[in-house]
Amino acid sequence: MSSAIATMRHVRGFDVVKPFSLGMVILLMLPLVLLPLASIFIFGTSKGLGSFWAALTAPEAVFALKLSVVTSFYATLFNVLFGLLAAYVLSRYMFLGRTAIIVIISLPTAIPTAVAGFALLLLWGKYGLIGRFLPPDLQIMFTPYAIILANIFVTFPLAFGVLMSVFETMDRSLEEASATIGATRWQTFWHVTLPSLRGAIVTGALLTFARAIGEFGSTILVSGNLAMSTQTAPLYIFSKFNEGQVEAANAVAIVLALFSFVIFFILFFARDWLEVK
Amino acid sequence: MMPKQAADDRGFVESAAAGADGAARAQETAEVEVAASVRALSKSFKKTRVLEDVSFDVGVGEALVLLGASGSGKTTILRIIAGLEQPDSGSVILHGRDVTDLPARERGVGVIFQSYALFPRMTVQENIGYGLRIRGRRRREVKEKVKSLLELVHLEEHRKKYPHQLSGGQQQRVAIARTLAYQPQVLLFDEPFGALDAQTRVRLRREIRALLREVNVPAIFITHDQEEALELGDRIAVLHAGHLEQVGTPEEVYNRPETEYVATFLGAANLLLGVAAGGRVELGTASIEAGAESARFREGQSVKLVFRPEDVHLSLTGALPEGCRRLTNGVIEEKHFVGAYERLTVRLDLVARLPSAGEPPLYEVTINTPETSLGVPIFVTRPKPEVSATALKVGDRVAVCLTAFRVLPNFALASERASRTLDTQK
Ligand SMILES: Nc1ncnc2c1ncn2[C@@H]1O[C@H](COP(=O)(O)OP(=O)(O)OP(=O)(O)O)[C@@H](O)[C@H]1O
Ligand SMILES: [Mg+2]
Repeated sequence: MSSAIATMRHVRGFDVVKPFSLGMVILLMLPLVLLPLASIFIFGTSKGLGSFWAALTAPEAVFALKLSVVTSFYATLFNVLFGLLAAYVLSRYMFLGRTAIIVIISLPTAIPTAVAGFALLLLWGKYGLIGRFLPPDLQIMFTPYAIILANIFVTFPLAFGVLMSVFETMDRSLEEASATIGATRWQTFWHVTLPSLRGAIVTGALLTFARAIGEFGSTILVSGNLAMSTQTAPLYIFSKFNEGQVEAANAVAIVLALFSFVIFFILFFARDWLEVK
Repeated sequence: MMPKQAADDRGFVESAAAGADGAARAQETAEVEVAASVRALSKSFKKTRVLEDVSFDVGVGEALVLLGASGSGKTTILRIIAGLEQPDSGSVILHGRDVTDLPARERGVGVIFQSYALFPRMTVQENIGYGLRIRGRRRREVKEKVKSLLELVHLEEHRKKYPHQLSGGQQQRVAIARTLAYQPQVLLFDEPFGALDAQTRVRLRREIRALLREVNVPAIFITHDQEEALELGDRIAVLHAGHLEQVGTPEEVYNRPETEYVATFLGAANLLLGVAAGGRVELGTASIEAGAESARFREGQSVKLVFRPEDVHLSLTGALPEGCRRLTNGVIEEKHFVGAYERLTVRLDLVARLPSAGEPPLYEVTINTPETSLGVPIFVTRPKPEVSATALKVGDRVAVCLTAFRVLPNFALASERASRTLDTQK
């Protein structure tokens, strides 16, 4: 920041570009980002905190929030564990088709989430390619498991990408030192590799969680959107708004917004702390 | 191989008997003394040959320096010994055991990486204790060992710090202590002083030498700094483009280089092209008595006369000291004062042979043309006492003799210039 300022010092006199460009940025940011966010809070609390609280503690709302948190949690857990495994294998071993695998893993980032949900339905649904062979009690579509599956499908590339980039830039001599000292592969991973990945794991987990908790497009297709059963928080907002219950929708929206704020600030400010050299 | 090296031509200075004697002694003790050795290592990356038939031994408690220019394959050798790289052929033997197929973690070698590779999330004492902890030693034992190692490398007060809080030299000592904890069979240092300033370098290499003597662990150092090699090594192995050129004590490789590359890579050397003839080396119009040095060359073979700037003696009067072999005469062309000694460029009369009767021996050979660029330039250094005893100035004619030199085969193409002077040090 300070260096950026220092490099601009050579501009003499009044710099017209600066206030103009800065003004443009603020003018754009206000209607695009800040005002919509502000309105959630202004509207949601306009009838007093009492009614906000009542809307938030309605059983359906609580269930939806809980379901979102729980499904996102499992998706996050999966992403971190398998993201680590995939990134480790793909960065440490060179084999034919390695690049193809990396591309395929990253592909879902580019797929519209509604398409992702639809694809899952066509595969696992009652009449899907695999789903049609499954007995009724193993049908996962329109259950919370479908939500987790959709979350993973959509968010895995995020966690994988973060972990992979750290694996690839990691100083290999640390692992080599550990090996020459006499550590097994597992000991090296546990004592040397993993601690260096701390920041990446937290980042990957938070990104996954933030993305999963707000996931809408794929969830609405695979979950069935049943209140008190497979309705996540974003679906709840959508449904209540459609039913005209703006307040109910607004209360949950505020909580979701706060969630993402917290995650965002952790990601933004805790990086340095997580990445101590 | 150690006995072979010792038996190899001992140079003209020493008698053949002394050479044979040394070889026999080395032969007797080689079996017990060798701590680590590599045999006929070859390695290619993709299609490029990086190592070619490299073999050497390291004795117990010995420090061997692998010296070579950048890209000569030093690190590759080290990584092969450590088990971090697999050779295409050849073997690595540690204390008589072939470990070529063992993974790095079962070899028990200590590697001090150029970057030190300390674990950033562990404190100094955790780093040092790592090798013991992963071996499942009891906490008490680990603690005691770490304590004694901290004392050994003088880092007691830094034990709770993290690596990034230490200076380069301190980090290096942590890296050494970390490997000493598990009693390595051999220590491998990859350019241990590369990242440090000149003064710290000198101090640290003395410290490390002292430390190694204390712990008595054989070590292999990598460096491309010849001064460092001479000071650190009990023996030096000179590597050139993946090929071992010579292995020997610092005195051997410096005073009796086996190849032109060794002569020029370690310090400055003058090279003059000549022909072996009747126990002498003929260099154009001049010739020098070479004795045993030239015995291994056939009559008329193209050779190179190699000598160091400090082995040249210049005489204004033509009177030559005992044991100094006359080469020819020359004219002093340049003179520089470089602190500890004086540095001269002398243009040798190696063009015309015109000994005219009646002239003093000093003018036995003259350049009978005003063209001063004829003749062959060499570098000469003279120590201070000599400089103050006889002052020489530019333009002086002097007699040139050599107190020591080597005669090496000339493999270069015939079209190469008649002589050239190489100076790798400056
Ligand atoms: N993993 C690798 N893949 C391909 N080529 C390699 C690899 N490692 C080393 N090389 C090549 O092998 C040659 C020798 O490398 P090496 O690192 O052993 O040299 P070095 O003597 O240690 O040089 P320096 O003094 O610069 O460290 C170089 O030409 C290098 O490019
Ligand atoms: Mg190297």
